Amino acid sequence: MTGPAAESLLSLHDIRVRLSGLQILDGVSISVPQGTVTGLIGPNGAGKTTVFNVISGFVKPESGDVRYDGRIRKHIRAHRLTKMGISRTLQGVGLFASLSALENVMLGGSSRVRSGLVSQSLAMPWTDIETERLRTRALEVMTELGIAEEAERLPGELPYPVQKKVALARALVCDPTLLLLDEPAGGVGAPDMEELERLIRSWVPKRTVLLVEHHMELVMSVCDLIWVLDAGKVIASGTPDEVRNNPAVLAAYLGEEGAA
Amino acid sequence: MRNLMRLPGARLVLHAVVVIVIWLVMVQVNDRVDPLMNYYIALVAMYATAMFGMVILVGLSGQVSLGNGALMAIGGYLFALTTLNWQTVPILGVPMNGIWAMVFAAVGGVVFGLLIGVLGARLRGPYLAGLTLGIAVGIPAIANRFPDLLGGETGLQLTVPYPEGGYAALDAGFEDQFAEVAPSGEALLPSADASLAPEELLTADNFPSADATVAPEDLLTADTFPSADATVAPGDLLTADNFPSADASASAGDLLTPDSFPSGAASLSPDLGGTDISGVDPTGTSDIDLGFILERWQASLAVAVACIVAFVALNLVRGRQGRVWKAVRDDPVAAAVSGISPAGSKVSAFVVSSLFASLAGAVFAQILSYVGPGAFGLGLSLSLLVGVVLGGRSSLVGAVIGAVLLVWLPQFVLSLSEDRGWDEQVTNNAPNLIYGLLVVLVVLIAPGGLMGSMQTLVAKVTKR
Amino acid sequence: MMQFVDYLLGGIGSGAIIALMALALVLTWRATRVVNFAQVGQAMFTTFIALSIQTATGSWYVALIGAIIAGAILGVIIQYLVLGPVKRMDTSGAIIATFGVLIALQAAAGMIWGGDSQAYPQPFGNSAITLFGHEWPLSVYDLVVIGFAAVLVVGLTLIFTRTSLGLAMRATAFNPEVARLSGVRVSRTLTIGWGLAGIVGAVAGVLVAPTSTISPNSFDILLVFAFTAAVIGGLDSLVGAVSMGIFTGLLLSVVSGYSDSSNAPVAALVLLALNLLLKPEGIFGHNSARSV
Repeated sequence: MTGPAAESLLSLHDIRVRLSGLQILDGVSISVPQGTVTGLIGPNGAGKTTVFNVISGFVKPESGDVRYDGRIRKHIRAHRLTKMGISRTLQGVGLFASLSALENVMLGGSSRVRSGLVSQSLAMPWTDIETERLRTRALEVMTELGIAEEAERLPGELPYPVQKKVALARALVCDPTLLLLDEPAGGVGAPDMEELERLIRSWVPKRTVLLVEHHMELVMSVCDLIWVLDAGKVIASGTPDEVRNNPAVLAAYLGEEGAA
Repeated sequence: MRNLMRLPGARLVLHAVVVIVIWLVMVQVNDRVDPLMNYYIALVAMYATAMFGMVILVGLSGQVSLGNGALMAIGGYLFALTTLNWQTVPILGVPMNGIWAMVFAAVGGVVFGLLIGVLGARLRGPYLAGLTLGIAVGIPAIANRFPDLLGGETGLQLTVPYPEGGYAALDAGFEDQFAEVAPSGEALLPSADASLAPEELLTADNFPSADATVAPEDLLTADTFPSADATVAPGDLLTADNFPSADASASAGDLLTPDSFPSGAASLSPDLGGTDISGVDPTGTSDIDLGFILERWQASLAVAVACIVAFVALNLVRGRQGRVWKAVRDDPVAAAVSGISPAGSKVSAFVVSSLFASLAGAVFAQILSYVGPGAFGLGLSLSLLVGVVLGGRSSLVGAVIGAVLLVWLPQFVLSLSEDRGWDEQVTNNAPNLIYGLLVVLVVLIAPGGLMGSMQTLVAKVTKR
Repeated sequence: MMQFVDYLLGGIGSGAIIALMALALVLTWRATRVVNFAQVGQAMFTTFIALSIQTATGSWYVALIGAIIAGAILGVIIQYLVLGPVKRMDTSGAIIATFGVLIALQAAAGMIWGGDSQAYPQPFGNSAITLFGHEWPLSVYDLVVIGFAAVLVVGLTLIFTRTSLGLAMRATAFNPEVARLSGVRVSRTLTIGWGLAGIVGAVAGVLVAPTSTISPNSFDILLVFAFTAAVIGGLDSLVGAVSMGIFTGLLLSVVSGYSDSSNAPVAALVLLALNLLLKPEGIFGHNSARSV
């Protein structure tokens, strides 16, 4: 379980990103082995979320390749991600405020919907069958996460940790091969953190997880492999133990946020 | 009940039943009210048709657009052009009729909606509003570019196509109803300069003869029009103060004023001669042989179109597509990672709303028997926005309420002004002032409009 | 060729007016991130006020000063009563509210001054200047308009670059939160921004009125032209608004000259559409609130 070896589900090669004059990513190469939980950490502004945005197609790199499932993906489009088997959560919650929790989760399965605008506008019965199938699947996932009782509530009415779970359920509902989790533990208390750890571990090796996270405890306990970014460059990688004892990592963290 | 609604096809049945019931009720209403009321009903239905599209575009999809008045122009002009210029449907060769003309209008609306949507979907709010503002001003101005084809500033006058025989037949006893209803109709539109109002055209002393062969336009001679020539250009009839200036910059003040609709023009269709009314036995009822009541036909048509559009709108809004539109409005980034194309969803909202708008435009053309740049100016777009905001940005019922408000308020102000003896200047502008202030108030206090506030209220009451 | 130059010159005056109105749009956009679609309504209203003053006093200058004061007050009132209270998240609401204000202002003007087009006195003569044996399509009045525009642009630039108010306004436009933390009185700064925009719009209104007529709706088309210019200029830039305003004026003058003035709105629309197509603001551009 070390280094970007053998069975990489996802790998980035020499990615460079420049945004409004700043070099955000400066030749980043990382890989995510199949069936593992891989962490991506680094001080604030290191470029972690930008890595996610490159993978999701929100940010076009100046140069470099994204390889997923054995193929180089040139023009990634965000809304095609789930079709490729990649799901992503967003920083915060990113829920649709005017839709119920269940409707939020159901929309996570949008890539499975076949019926078009015409059959929708005539309310053809198969659109109902499709919706019903999605509803069943969504409730299944919500039950797994223990939030099925909140299905009819609006996100704004739910406590923050529950909202995070709804967002998680929305990412899971399309049965992804690769899950990109952007700070899943942000704003979540200790008991929920343990549950989160348990959940993430329960997904592997069926799913592969790439995780951006600030909570070191969670990262250290849940990850098989960790990549450390600082100022747009990979400064270290390895198992949690290797990373923890890497002087470069310590320096980066102490330099950036000394007290923390 | 909830579980029942999840059965495949349940939504289809429910929505169909709702719409059909409304339609049946409205058919009865159309048969029983006087022409003036039918004229108002036609306007409400026409506004509602366009505003269902605004609910989807502005409310659900969150794209503030002022272009829908221009898209109505597309529908109206296509309707007029195809009925005026084509005897038969190209390629198919079947005779041209109103339904085919509506189909062409609809296709044109979809095409233009796609164009504007593709251009506009990438734009953030203010940019889109500005672009569509330009469209609202620019597209009607195109009519001036091609005066031969599009009639320039004066526009095009058209014959309202209607099924032969169908609406020509009169109910027995209609004259009694009419005699009763007519006075109340006058109360609705008491203004002296409403000389173009339908009810006056049809009152007893306006009919010099009960001869069925008398064409309607001849009846208008009495005191309403200086000339009964069927070829009278609308420009002559629509004097400055009863019709929006054909100026491309025609604006808010124009369409919302009570006397801005050239209603009388509706009765000017030159081809409503004896032949079409031949379905009525001229020797039978001696009192009323006019037979064809244009306003009733227009109202029935407008209501039918509104019902069909409402059915489609209900299916979309209360289905997956409605959730998709809201999702993109709430958070385009989250929608994208959920597998929804934000741009695609916005374009689809444009296409649907412009389909509705073009159908409404085709109906509008038939209500006015006329299309012209002034009728479809910025004022029309603004009134659609006003109506949908007041009724409730995201509610189809709100759209109907907004449509009623657009038609009713000017009449209400007119009757008030009659009582209080207001200056004409005040009367003409009061509705717009009220609309403008109400829009601001709604945005500040109740962004959900009338329907949104009612829903919140109901939710609060039921929760207690 | 000479004709082309004539058309170009003929557009400078209207270009300066479009530039001023675009400038007003940019000022409110910078202040509150709202495109004030009511701007022309405010300008129309203050121009009617000016016309009333002119009729009463007979002085063009007094009328102009009256319009400027009214413009500032109107801008401040609208920001304070309408746009200020709109929830910042409700971008659709802000846009709709400005249209509500536009409708209300036009109706109010119609109530007070009537819906008919009225002539606005032409103070400086409208005859073309003859120089070097050629009659140029420029009048003394055009030069006055250009002069006013130049004075306003220079004045605003000085305010923005040389005064603490300007610094506060730039800071607020850049990031209201940071500005607040740095001790800027943000809401006051925003209101001043709207007041300034009101002044610029009012001047534009008084300057444009004598070239045609004034009625409650007569400035609508100016809104389209000014918006086009402001967007092409970047919506954020004073220089952009002014240069693109003049460019738009020249272009429309050339289009009108070679074809027909009724083509101007369509030409502006094409210009706007082309600009938005070639330089679009993607929803995932760097303005996107979250993902980056």
